[in-house]
Amino acid sequence: MTQYFEVLDRDGPARLGEFRLTTPQITPALVDDILVDAGSLWAQERSMPDGSDDHITVLPHRSLPAGTRDEIKDAFAVETPSVDFPSAAVVTADTAADRDADAYILSDVRSFDGHAAALREAILTTKSAVPADTALIVSGIATPGNVATLAYAGVDGFDTTRAKTKGAQGKYLTTDGEVFLEDLRELPCACHACQKPRSEFTRTDCIEHNVSALQAELTRVRERIRAGRLRDYIEAQSRHEQWLTAAFREFDQEYSYLEERTPVLRNTELTATTEDTIRRVEIQRFADRVTSRYRNRFENPLVLVPCSAKKPYSESQSHKQFLRAINFRGHVASMTSPIGVVPTELELTYPAQHYDTAVTGRWSEDEKQFVAAVLERYLERNEYPKIIAHVPEHGYRDICQRVEEALDLTFTYTVADHPTTDESLANLSDALHGFGKFSKREREHNTVKAIADYQLGDGAGDDLFAAANIRTTGRHPKLQVRNAENTQLATMVPQYGLLAFTLAGAKRWDESDVETKRVEIDGFVPHGSVLAPGIVSADETIRPGDEVIIDGPKAFGIGRAEMFGSEMERSTRGIGVEVRHVEER
Amino acid sequence: MSKPSPEVYETGRGMDAHNSVMRDIRSEKQKHYDPHQPTRVWIDEDNTPNGVYQSLTIILNTGGCRWARAGGCTMCGYVAESVEGGTVAHDALMDQIDVCLEHEAENTDEECGLIKIYTSGSFLDEREVPAETRAAIAETFSDRERMVVESLPDFVSEAKLADFTQHDIDTDVAVGLETATDRVRHDCVNKYFDFSDFEAACAEADAAGAGVKAYLLMKPPFLSEPEALEDMISSIKRCADVSGCHTVSMNPCNVQRYTMVDELFFRGGYRPPWLWSVAHALKETADSDAIVVSDPVGHGSDRGAHNCGECDDLVQKAIKDFNLRQDETVFEQVSCECETTWELVIEAETSYNMPLVR
Repeated sequence: MTQYFEVLDRDGPARLGEFRLTTPQITPALVDDILVDAGSLWAQERSMPDGSDDHITVLPHRSLPAGTRDEIKDAFAVETPSVDFPSAAVVTADTAADRDADAYILSDVRSFDGHAAALREAILTTKSAVPADTALIVSGIATPGNVATLAYAGVDGFDTTRAKTKGAQGKYLTTDGEVFLEDLRELPCACHACQKPRSEFTRTDCIEHNVSALQAELTRVRERIRAGRLRDYIEAQSRHEQWLTAAFREFDQEYSYLEERTPVLRNTELTATTEDTIRRVEIQRFADRVTSRYRNRFENPLVLVPCSAKKPYSESQSHKQFLRAINFRGHVASMTSPIGVVPTELELTYPAQHYDTAVTGRWSEDEKQFVAAVLERYLERNEYPKIIAHVPEHGYRDICQRVEEALDLTFTYTVADHPTTDESLANLSDALHGFGKFSKREREHNTVKAIADYQLGDGAGDDLFAAANIRTTGRHPKLQVRNAENTQLATMVPQYGLLAFTLAGAKRWDESDVETKRVEIDGFVPHGSVLAPGIVSADETIRPGDEVIIDGPKAFGIGRAEMFGSEMERSTRGIGVEVRHVEER
Repeated sequence: MSKPSPEVYETGRGMDAHNSVMRDIRSEKQKHYDPHQPTRVWIDEDNTPNGVYQSLTIILNTGGCRWARAGGCTMCGYVAESVEGGTVAHDALMDQIDVCLEHEAENTDEECGLIKIYTSGSFLDEREVPAETRAAIAETFSDRERMVVESLPDFVSEAKLADFTQHDIDTDVAVGLETATDRVRHDCVNKYFDFSDFEAACAEADAAGAGVKAYLLMKPPFLSEPEALEDMISSIKRCADVSGCHTVSMNPCNVQRYTMVDELFFRGGYRPPWLWSVAHALKETADSDAIVVSDPVGHGSDRGAHNCGECDDLVQKAIKDFNLRQDETVFEQVSCECETTWELVIEAETSYNMPLVR
């Protein structure tokens, strides 16, 4: 059972945690001062230390360095006793197991130091073997350059040993790598150690600088996790060391590890400026849900339009012009890199209104392929009486033509030179001639149903709401969904375009054929939050941010998941679900 | 061989695993050697209780170490340097001695006063070197002043040593004790005798009027630099306190092919000791009763004891100088910026972050 570590917040695989010591320590952090090593059993026999709440005791260990064969690992395996003080167990990735410790220290750091695939393998293997709410510590590897990527991968604790020895060797470390002190004409830093002329700067100063650079970077990492924007940072920063770029790409290949840990909603910007953004879970997940869960309910033609820098799109100058020309006669879907296709009902849904990208009109082949693939799958699933492509040349037109060819469809192109010229807008309006206007009611119903599809699964919008004969109140985007008796079932949350259910909505969901995300709890009535120890079981499909039904012998409720499903089951500390509404049974 | 320690289960499992792995590693080596040629021979200078001698060092190619054929020590690659079939006959061994004498004649004007014979096994094990051969070799070198022969403690007996002492040769047995700590010798080195066996061998040698030169291994695998240094200093002190053991030779572990150490090294899990650690151990034990020497093999290379690459030759020179004069002030003459790095390693290297610096 984990008593002295708690995960407070998550940003994908990265966690903001806390060592619950006499003086608490927020992680990811340097743990030099809070680790006390009870020693190696290779060197001598050790007695079991008394431990203390002031620090984490590294239990007596036989560490197995990189290159140790399995037979040796087995023969010299150490039984770690259960202790009631803060403790860390020394393991290798492939000998890691639940040792009842608060933290695990990997002893084969050299096997993945500088090796992207080996790092991925070590982290994944270790994480699958130890409880989710324990800390992972690596010693002798952290630098200002690599610590963000290591934290992104899911490491919680680091130390200064590498930064110091590098300094002693005359290597000046920064977030963009390392440089020999002799090669520096100026000191590119303003830390305390660097407040002196280059000529007086010694290796001792270099040690101090390296440690402060590492501390500063870890502070940045913690802030980035709090903001939900660590990935945005490492996509850029890791470029300075090839193995780190390779490392996060290796993790991108482990979609299920990342997907499980990536929240379904955030209220912050997502920076989409590298070719790696396309592989982000948030982007892939949106494209996947739009093409496998979402279903168009409008009977009007589809109008494909280019995205806009302003989000949501409908508030941009260009889209306002398009919408005037369309005048509710067409179903608008925006084509965009790197999101793919955004049907208008989902334009607020994370990350559609949150991403920001650098627009130059130059499309890479990767972007074209991705958007074309999404559009193709979208059109395989959704039929329209007519498809109007109100898109400019460059990229957009190219993509449309590929899809037309692949699906043997014919698009109507309405842009003459630029989408917002009078001529283009007139073409657009003309192309919709003869099609009727859909009503506000239809628009609003289709919106909440589309969000339900996206959020809960294929067909969910109809299963949940059609039978309930819903009506919508409020003003878009703050729509409320009510049943025939006028009881509120759900609210559309404008910040991230998803539904938040009421208790009645939760019951409706529970009764419907829609697959629920359920957290079974013990016999208590939770208020505020459900803590991990109170959770009996949780669906594996639950992701951070998901709406979940809270179900126990004494209570029924609805809330938002703070952990992913298996983390809820494998944790003994931390908040599992924030409760929105609950009632006693 | 003595039996494993009372922790039978743990050390037994560890020993089985070490032996199994080492057998597998050694099986990768295909090379065989001519039984009529010594493995190596060279001329050097050595410090002994009677002063500094020019020495002829012979690595005799015998059937090799029996323990190594069972698996053997985790750092030892010499076993592979043995002959096909496993035993070398008397005549062939004597041919090897002749080759060594020719080497001596070709490379030095005066005969070496000190003859050192190693076998990468036990010279006193009669299954390696028959009694007949031992007596003949003693006879061959009967006019020399001093001899060193290598042996595991089990084979050391007053009677065997009498072959040499009867010619009035000052005789020493070189015992690869590796460390005075049984636990480290068993678990890290996979060498199965105890310190008490070493003490018994010293007593046998003493009774024969011979002496013992203890060979210690600086930084066996699985120990961090500070653990290894601490173990070395205490081992030297414990050896020096044993009556009959008048010399301690500290061998920094070097990375030999076809060993477990080599596999760890290849994957980044092992670094040979720093020369600063060697110097530090010599300084710390300079006032002990024994002569303490060290001859770092492959110093300055990645596979041998090394510092930063800039100062390796200087520190090696100081160590060599210390070997002959036992004067620790020689180390005051050498310094390098990398000492700070080494100090950090001694302060912060643990077995779960090693090696901290390549």
